[in-house]
Amino acid sequence: MMRGWRYWRLKTKLLFLTLFVSTLGIALVCASLIFVENRNYKKQLESELHVIAGILAEQSAAALVFEDNVQLTSIISSLERINTIRQACVYNEQDNFMTSLVGIDEQPCPSLDQRLELGFVDDVYRLLMPVSLGNETVGRLFLSSHLEVLRGHIRTFVWVAIGIGSTILLALVFLALRLQRIVSGPILTLSETAERIAMNHDYSIRAPVSGTDELGRLGNTFNEMIGTIQQQNLRILESRDNLERVVDARTSELSMANRELEAFSYSVSHDLRQPLRAIEGFGQALEEDCGEHLNDVGKDYLRRIRAASVRMASLIDGLLILSRVSRQSMENHSIDLSQMLREITDELKDISDHPPAEIHIQPGMQVVGDSRMLRIVFQNLLGNAWKYSSKEKKRVIEVSATLEGSVIAIEIRDNGVGFDMRYIDKLFVAFNRLHTPSEFGGTGIGLATVYRVIRRHHGTISATSEVGKGASFVVKLPVSGDQR
Amino acid sequence: MRDHLKYFIFTILCLCLGLAPANGSIRSEYEVKAAFLYNFTRFVRWSQVVDSTAPLIVCVVGDDPFGELLDPLRGRKSQGRELQLRYPDSTFELTGCDVLYISQSQSRNLPELINLARQEGMLTVSDLPDFIRKGGMLGYVKKGNVIRFEINLKAATEAGLTINSRLLELAVRVLR
Repeated sequence: MMRGWRYWRLKTKLLFLTLFVSTLGIALVCASLIFVENRNYKKQLESELHVIAGILAEQSAAALVFEDNVQLTSIISSLERINTIRQACVYNEQDNFMTSLVGIDEQPCPSLDQRLELGFVDDVYRLLMPVSLGNETVGRLFLSSHLEVLRGHIRTFVWVAIGIGSTILLALVFLALRLQRIVSGPILTLSETAERIAMNHDYSIRAPVSGTDELGRLGNTFNEMIGTIQQQNLRILESRDNLERVVDARTSELSMANRELEAFSYSVSHDLRQPLRAIEGFGQALEEDCGEHLNDVGKDYLRRIRAASVRMASLIDGLLILSRVSRQSMENHSIDLSQMLREITDELKDISDHPPAEIHIQPGMQVVGDSRMLRIVFQNLLGNAWKYSSKEKKRVIEVSATLEGSVIAIEIRDNGVGFDMRYIDKLFVAFNRLHTPSEFGGTGIGLATVYRVIRRHHGTISATSEVGKGASFVVKLPVSGDQR
Repeated sequence: MRDHLKYFIFTILCLCLGLAPANGSIRSEYEVKAAFLYNFTRFVRWSQVVDSTAPLIVCVVGDDPFGELLDPLRGRKSQGRELQLRYPDSTFELTGCDVLYISQSQSRNLPELINLARQEGMLTVSDLPDFIRKGGMLGYVKKGNVIRFEINLKAATEAGLTINSRLLELAVRVLR
């Protein structure tokens, strides 16, 4: 029964405890009262019967010695009026039966030859009193009284006790219910309020508080706590709003600056092209039309001018591409990367197939992204591999992909000259070159462009290398292109 | 039910009453009278006797009807006094008697004996007919087969004797 005690409602627990303790108390009191009453009543009965027997014995002594049965019978018959007496018998000196009074039982008087059980036996009380005259015993008197009166008395007592007990219990139930309203009522209200707050996240709700006792204090403390939470919430919201405003402002400032910078670099690159084309065009015209007027030194200078202008054009192209990949909006599609890489390597082979190239491209690679931008990325990476392995006896270029959770890692490995890992920090920064133009041509913008495109695709790029043992570039792109 | 009960009690009573004489008839008349004589002494107080330990002397005057039946009384104690038996021949030897049993042979000396008894404070007992009317104190009477007795309280009081009321209750007749 007590197994569910923990899950009982507070109300039930209080009521149960109150009733249990009081029932126990009442039952104990009633039981002890009944016990005491029973004992007292028995004692009283015993002494009453002894008194009666004593009087009878005194009265019947003379009649006994004179064997006057008529007198004896009349003496004994006075007992008829005492309705608890069941049987009364008189015996003479020789323990012979003299006379008797029989009650309802109509039992014969017991013989005194055998031992008689006296006192309280079953539901009778038995008494054997000597009848004495002077110092001599002249006979004996036997009395037997039934205990129905005692039983009735105790029964009445029990019923009264039960009645009073139930009345008290009823009063207690009433009181306990009232008490509960006083004690558990506020607790229940508090608990309901707490539940409502937790459910609705409405910290403006307050628990009703009455009185200044412990429960009142509990309610007040609870309300104070809720108040504190409400204020803190307000402050958090305010500071979040502030923060957002600040971030918004910063972001817009930043993006404006970025846009200006990009516009600047675009216009610069675009505007630089025209004079450069003029330099290149007139340089070519000078070489064709007036070549015969120049000596070897002049021709050398002219060649250098033209080479520089070509390099500058490619620099400007690189810058244009860089600004374009930064500015252009992206269109994400699923791309067959293997196909794209094969196209790029075919183009590279068309330009220069010396030394012979051995190219391994893992088939079936798929990525998601802007195809034009990614083409620029892999043109750069493969072009680098192509360029830096041009001094080997044989080009070996491997492209493979592994899936790492939601990220695909594409590795491009070559057997070229590699680079010194000390300068890895400068690798993806624009205009930084790890090789001299006399060794390998280049603008120093390619990897910066790669870096920017990969970042715009929410990916990462890393490189490892050892001087003379080739380089490995790993591009990691999210499998589902639409990350945001 | 109630009538039935009454009838039953009545039957039992009759049975008891019937049985008692039947038992008594086993004993002879004088056996009963001897027992009565002893029992009388237990319910009488002699105011003239000061010494409560002095022997209680029972005198049988005239022809002794008891024979040996009184012998068991010798030495028995009544109210703390030891019983002694005497069989005086003449009235002069009666001094010191406490109980006087007057046999039927003494009916002629009765007034004299009664007088003496009154003066000396003796208890007079006899089975003479009409004994108490003649001034005797305790007289045996026969009711059917049962021996009973009657008392002349006046005579006893005059002799300075007190008779226990319990004895009076048992008497067939009490003269006051």
